[in-house]
Amino acid sequence: MGQKTPRIYSVELNGAKDMKQTDKGDGKDKYRGLQDNCLELRNNQRQEHLTKEIDLDDHKLSNKELETKYHTNIVTGLSSTQAAELLARDGPNALSPPKETPEIIKFLKQMVGGFSILLWAGAILCWIAYGIQYSSDKSSSLDNVYLGTVLALVVILTGIFAYYQEAKSTNIMASFSKMIPQQALVIRDSEKKIIPAEQLVVGDIVEIKGGDQIPADIRLLFAQGCKVDNSSLTGESEPQSRSCEFTHDDPLETKNIGFYSTTCLEGTATGMVINTGDRTIIGQIASLASGVGNEKTPIAIEIKHFVHIVAGVAISIGVLFFIIAVSMKYRVLDSIIFLIGIIVANVPEGLLATVTVTLSLTAKRMAKKNCLVKNLEAVETLGSTSIICSDKTGTLTQNRMTVAHLWFDNQIFMADTSEDQLKQTFDQSSGTWASLSKIIALCNRAEFRPGQERVPIMKRVVVGDASETALLKFSEVVLGDVMEIRKRNHKVAEIPFNSTNKFQLSIHKTDDPIDKRFLMVMKGAPEKVLEKCSTIMVNGQEQPLNNSTAEAFYTAYMELGGLGERVLGFCHLYLPADEFPETYSFDVDAMNFPMSDLCFVGLLSMIDPPRSTVPDAITKCRSAGIKVIMVTGDHPITAKAIAKSVGIISANSETVEDIAKRLNIAVEQVNKQDAKAAVVTGMELKDMSEDQLDEVLTSYPEIVFARTSPQQKLIIVEGCQRQDAVVAVTGDGVNDSPALKKADIGIAMGIAGSDAAKNAADMVLLDDNFASIVTGVEEGRLIFDNLKKTIAYTLTKNIAELCPFLIYIIVGVPLPLGTITILFIDLGTDIVPSIALAYEKAESDIMNRKPRHKKEDRLVNKPLAVYSYLHIGIMQSLGAFLVYFTVYAQEGFRPSTLINLRVEWEKDSVNNLEDSYGQEWTRYQRKYLEWTGYTAFFIGIMVQQIADLIIRKTRRNSIFQQGLFRNKVIWVGIASQIIIALILSYGLGSITALNFTMLRPQYWFVAVPHAILIWVYDEVRKLFIRLYPGSWWDKNMYY
Amino acid sequence: MTKKDKKSFHQSLAEWKLFLYNPTTGAFLGRTAKSWVFYGFLAALFTFTMWVMLQTLNDEVPKYRDQISSPGLTVFPKPVTALEYSFSVSEPESYKGYIEDLKKFLTPYASEAQKNLKVCTDGALSEQKGPVYEACQFPLNLLEACSGENDPEFGYSQGHPCILVKMNRIIGLKPQGQPRIECTGNSKGENTTTLLAYPPEGNIDLKYFPYYGKKLHASYLQPLVAVQLNYTASSTPKEVTVECKIVGSKNLKNYDDRDKFLGRVAFKITMRA
Repeated sequence: MGQKTPRIYSVELNGAKDMKQTDKGDGKDKYRGLQDNCLELRNNQRQEHLTKEIDLDDHKLSNKELETKYHTNIVTGLSSTQAAELLARDGPNALSPPKETPEIIKFLKQMVGGFSILLWAGAILCWIAYGIQYSSDKSSSLDNVYLGTVLALVVILTGIFAYYQEAKSTNIMASFSKMIPQQALVIRDSEKKIIPAEQLVVGDIVEIKGGDQIPADIRLLFAQGCKVDNSSLTGESEPQSRSCEFTHDDPLETKNIGFYSTTCLEGTATGMVINTGDRTIIGQIASLASGVGNEKTPIAIEIKHFVHIVAGVAISIGVLFFIIAVSMKYRVLDSIIFLIGIIVANVPEGLLATVTVTLSLTAKRMAKKNCLVKNLEAVETLGSTSIICSDKTGTLTQNRMTVAHLWFDNQIFMADTSEDQLKQTFDQSSGTWASLSKIIALCNRAEFRPGQERVPIMKRVVVGDASETALLKFSEVVLGDVMEIRKRNHKVAEIPFNSTNKFQLSIHKTDDPIDKRFLMVMKGAPEKVLEKCSTIMVNGQEQPLNNSTAEAFYTAYMELGGLGERVLGFCHLYLPADEFPETYSFDVDAMNFPMSDLCFVGLLSMIDPPRSTVPDAITKCRSAGIKVIMVTGDHPITAKAIAKSVGIISANSETVEDIAKRLNIAVEQVNKQDAKAAVVTGMELKDMSEDQLDEVLTSYPEIVFARTSPQQKLIIVEGCQRQDAVVAVTGDGVNDSPALKKADIGIAMGIAGSDAAKNAADMVLLDDNFASIVTGVEEGRLIFDNLKKTIAYTLTKNIAELCPFLIYIIVGVPLPLGTITILFIDLGTDIVPSIALAYEKAESDIMNRKPRHKKEDRLVNKPLAVYSYLHIGIMQSLGAFLVYFTVYAQEGFRPSTLINLRVEWEKDSVNNLEDSYGQEWTRYQRKYLEWTGYTAFFIGIMVQQIADLIIRKTRRNSIFQQGLFRNKVIWVGIASQIIIALILSYGLGSITALNFTMLRPQYWFVAVPHAILIWVYDEVRKLFIRLYPGSWWDKNMYY
Repeated sequence: MTKKDKKSFHQSLAEWKLFLYNPTTGAFLGRTAKSWVFYGFLAALFTFTMWVMLQTLNDEVPKYRDQISSPGLTVFPKPVTALEYSFSVSEPESYKGYIEDLKKFLTPYASEAQKNLKVCTDGALSEQKGPVYEACQFPLNLLEACSGENDPEFGYSQGHPCILVKMNRIIGLKPQGQPRIECTGNSKGENTTTLLAYPPEGNIDLKYFPYYGKKLHASYLQPLVAVQLNYTASSTPKEVTVECKIVGSKNLKNYDDRDKFLGRVAFKITMRA
């Protein structure tokens, strides 16, 4: 491939022939790779189907045979009736969207996922308990039925909520992926018609022109200067010419087939539709993606782990106390009811809904930063990402050719390549520059679309290829109105660029009214241009071209080529007025003008420059411990140059080849350990075994994969995943979709991305900018930290909810906290505060630590569970019990009286139960007191949850370092807790079904000392963690 | 038991010992000394706060009495199942339990036990300032036929069973007006039931109020009202629903939606021949 002109890469001009060779060798392998993947990814039957389809032979058929095969006529097209029949038979010409899980299944999944099973069990136990009660006593109270119904409602409502949240985030995507319907120009009934591309059928004759998307797989019947961009299919970013000749056995290689969803860049063509919809090549590849299983997201694994822990605790405590209760001679029925209470107390009913809200809040925040998240859980996945496999074009780079360097007067000048260049600052005083700029402006066929005077130059739409666009914009910036200049220098003749000549030439009348000479300007492959020159311009003066100037030229050419840039040479010649009078008629076919002894003016090189934000983002990734791997279809030299300029290969690291060159030894002699970076080409990758790839991935911190096909991306992703890495992959082509699916998080490009890629991805980058990924990583890491806080906060009060039951069973005090009341904490006062923790700012620079280890850094770890359950939880329970005992004692039941009072207390027939003072209570009076006890316990928990909320703001820093008031939402949370409690106690105090009563105001403050204690204790914990990092304390108390 | 089992038993014993006390980590009951210090501290703290709370209490009178502003009514003998008395006049065994219960309940009312109590003036509250609080006598003969003095079987053997009704004790309760307990009987199909009440009209004398609490008013006797069924017809079996409620006093409620025993009580008597 590049061997003929080593280290020089100017593909457009001198590389076209190489490209063709590459296609012949490489393309077949790409195709083979595709089949290999099929083997891996699909079952045999589907694979056969695919192979059979790709074995299409339409490219070999003559036009006549095609007409027969598809019962059509090349001139008149299909008849409308025929087309309608075919449409009915084959279906619309569109890719069928990936199979969606039916909504009802999604909904049911929410109903049984997470804690729902436990709650369902609780509800069913309630109903069974009532059944037993009812069978023995027809007038038994309906309390258990209500409780069962409430539990079922909780499951259903939280299920609906989670379902709604998910549907909402999916909808964002749906609206996003809706595209403007594509049109196609088709010949039917001998008439040209414009119809929606969806209605195309096989046999239709369609016409395409530059700028169109090819509406189906077509066999070209006629083409004129037609070039297509097949990058979405093959990853090949160079335009490929199309004609109607059969050039290759392989349908993917032959020039007379145009593929669905690829773009026609220039020229016109007429073709016959041979495949539509899912039967197109692209359609088949897109459906491959559905064969790749969706990996479970890290956060889903974490949440499952957490649910297991909590459910394990709930069930084991529940069963343990069921056994204890039965052996304490409680009735089995009562024991069942205790079991329900324990389950309800242990399950954080509101937590999963909170997690969903938290994730969707972050998703919204990320959407604002141009990361659109399709799958809520992907929010966190991005945070735990340890390897990013990034595309080059468009993601790391600006996706537009830009002039980077100039060489004239024996000097290299650097041009500004930033996104919004307004002027170029290099030295423009030389006379050479005046000539060079004139050539750049005149020898150029690209034009601005009219009506864009107000648009910044860099954003204007240009008709013309990438290089010419770059030159046009460059000269517009430097010279001003290029169109006006061209008008003043009227073009009289022109030879457009072609791959044999490798130059472009035009002849102009000059705008100098005195000078009647014609100006001939030429640009092209530098060496070709130089061949035609005998002089060179230095400082505005023509000098003869001698060996030393030629040497200088080659040095500069090499240097610029080595930067991975496309280099163009420029020369001109003023045609002598006597030989070429004003009336001279130029004939471009006869070439009746001189083609030698021109004057070489300068070189200019172009590159698709990196986005200005990317180097910063890469640095951030590096400090965040994320490895960035570049995977590109581009040439290794360009890839490496870009990798170096953005920092994927850092300034001081070398590849094996670099070292070999520096030490002047053979590549094989280099100690591989000295090399930090590696550039691996697709060819090399193809010959590698899995182990070899693993070795490359582990031994080099900086890797660039160049000249890779999209299929190879999948291999690279799998290799990374074998290292236990969480892999993010960016992609835009249809062929990227399997890799996007396979990745832990697939990131599709919002602008350049195909629909298939967007469908397969978990996230869409709206601005195609790599830097946005990094902000996403930051958000993802923050949400992981904050979820820890939310869970710690929520789990704490579960102990305070559980203890009442345990004490009730063992000590026999009147029930301190009712099951319904527990639900009011879990789904009432605690909801807003736990969401508020999602707004907490990071405690330290989260981008300065390593990504979390998938298997070691758990969301819920032992210190978190122990500290929440056994430290703060126990403290909280004691505080709440204090309030409970206070209420009972002040109403007449001292703690000593309460012990073992349960049986008498709960007997409906006892209506004169004596308290510690000799007063007698009816059953209802006791019930009311019991509800007051619930309310008191509830308030006790609520007050201490305020303290819990404040301490959970940080895990390591002091609250005062974090700032009490920076997160205003926390205060909204605290206010919501208090207001809900006030409403429940005073507003709904009379609704006894809810078991709340009015509580004396002073009882609200009984637990305050405990709340303060919790705060102080946690501050001490954090202080010791900060003071003694690595100590026993740090290991056991930091969650 | 096989040898192997024994061994595993020893093993598990060792494991338990290790759980109870692990010499290497110093863990006791699976938790290390450090955490026991923590829990010890918590326990001490809780004890302290509870102690502080108990200091706010008064030994004689509870701090608040808002939740029992009005007394409930209860009946004796205590029925086995929800307020249903069922017995057969001809079978003493069937009502033996009721009689024993009544006797037991009336023990503190025996004249021997009451002799140290004060004889109070009728019809007036006996408010006292302490430090010694005296209780008023409630002579059993006020219950007349239901006193058990003349008829040790409380009328059960004659088909005229006695039920005692009393108001719950509430510290400091001072009834207004002249409270009495009014009972109505409702027999299925017949309205010939007559209920006799002792003391007459079911009056409760104000002199038994207010109550000063278990500690100050240790010998306090609650006023009682007896209800006796007096059937005229002798058809069997008889099923009577009796409803009693407090009337004649403004501050004693006799109706509450949810509390079926607040100032009222309803019970059923099924009597077979």
